[in-house]
Amino acid sequence: MAKKILLLTVALLLGVCLAPAKDNSGDELNYEIEGAGTGAQGSYLVKVWGLTSKNNPGDDYLCKCAVHGVLFRGFSNKELRQSQRPLAGSALVEQQHADFFKDFFSDGGSYKNYATMVSANREVVKIAKKKYKVGAVVTVNKEQLLKDLQAAGVVRGLTTGF
Amino acid sequence: MKKYIFLMAALIMPLLMEGQAKKPTIMVVPADVWCSENGYMTTYDNQGDEVSVPDYEKAMQNDMDLVNAITKIGELMAERGLPLKDLASTVRSIRQSSAEDEMTVSRSSGSSLAESPLDKLLNRAKADILVELAWKINTVGPKQSVTYTLRGIDAYTNKQVAAAQGTGAPSFSAEIPVLIEEATLEKMDGFIAQLQAHFDDLLANGREVNVNIRVFDNGSGMSLEDEYDGYELIDIIDDWMAQNTVQHRYSLTDATENMMRFEQVRIPLYRENGMPMDTRRFVTELRRYLSKEPFNITSKVLTKGLGRADLVLGEK
Repeated sequence: MAKKILLLTVALLLGVCLAPAKDNSGDELNYEIEGAGTGAQGSYLVKVWGLTSKNNPGDDYLCKCAVHGVLFRGFSNKELRQSQRPLAGSALVEQQHADFFKDFFSDGGSYKNYATMVSANREVVKIAKKKYKVGAVVTVNKEQLLKDLQAAGVVRGLTTGF
Repeated sequence: MKKYIFLMAALIMPLLMEGQAKKPTIMVVPADVWCSENGYMTTYDNQGDEVSVPDYEKAMQNDMDLVNAITKIGELMAERGLPLKDLASTVRSIRQSSAEDEMTVSRSSGSSLAESPLDKLLNRAKADILVELAWKINTVGPKQSVTYTLRGIDAYTNKQVAAAQGTGAPSFSAEIPVLIEEATLEKMDGFIAQLQAHFDDLLANGREVNVNIRVFDNGSGMSLEDEYDGYELIDIIDDWMAQNTVQHRYSLTDATENMMRFEQVRIPLYRENGMPMDTRRFVTELRRYLSKEPFNITSKVLTKGLGRADLVLGEK
């Protein structure tokens, strides 16, 4: 009996640790991100591929993926010879400030202020039954995003401590 | 009432001063290799040897792409709260000061300002972090691309603390200034992230400097093996270093009866009163310690750039 409880606890813990980020609507933030060229000063131009069960997810979902990717994953593009580190430093910051980012990425959260779809055009690829890969180019206002996160004390500024 | 206001002001002022303590200064200069490739070098005769050094003033006056690139880097750094020390203004200011110094004379005796050869040598553009910038235009058929290099050198240790390097995507139509601007925008975030890691290390472990202890050969017979209360001066200075460095971090690389060489000495960023600490201040504290009983040693502090100071024992 004790063995079963132990196994169950380990399985539960593993499930919690390895689960992908979820937004508040219950959908997992399952996406790929790559560079899409040099954006205007103070912004990143990225292409996100949202992996969803719908072939037409809302703009908000793709914007959320773009902001999340810029903050915690970074992005690259071999063809365009682009490579950017995660703006927040590392994915650990998301865990350290879990409460802040839960609100930030909630439906109607502040993430919306920092991302804009470049055009309404999307690329949709059906990869399995009820599984789609939807791609769109998004501009992320990284300079303002960084400033606001620094003001909130979530990420360190270049001169923090001096 | 006034008393309370004064008291409050006296309590708050040190806090404000601490909050405004010294931020690292950063200056962008064109790399030597870029100056050499673009003909911005000047030569002088050093006792028979012809030595080439970069002519920053000529480069800043003649190369618009360089001015644009440095201005863009300055703009991006200022956005992050760390404005650059401007190279052109610094060079101009040094030239202006030298001209003014030469014209300054005493009204009564007509004597000019004292300036040793060492003073003249030290009168150069300085910053805590020197960022070296270089780029090269690559042409393959009708396509052009930019290879861009940015290196941040800590002036205290001459270590490379941040870097960004890479070749951008080739373009048929973009003009060279646009390619350079794109490269700057692309590379700066990675560069700043590395710079931030360096600053975090400074805050946690102190600034890294070098300290040398020397002895004047003035015939007094003084040596670092002289004993005080049964301890040699070498051990006394070594103990002082251990007590006054951050987390006791330093290494004594050479020690003889005439000299001691300390490397990777981690000095605190601030003094006990909250004011900023630098290499000269740190070594001055050692000088003060040695001037007291039972040592009573007279010594002279010589600073060599930002990150090195020598303490010469025996006389001023």
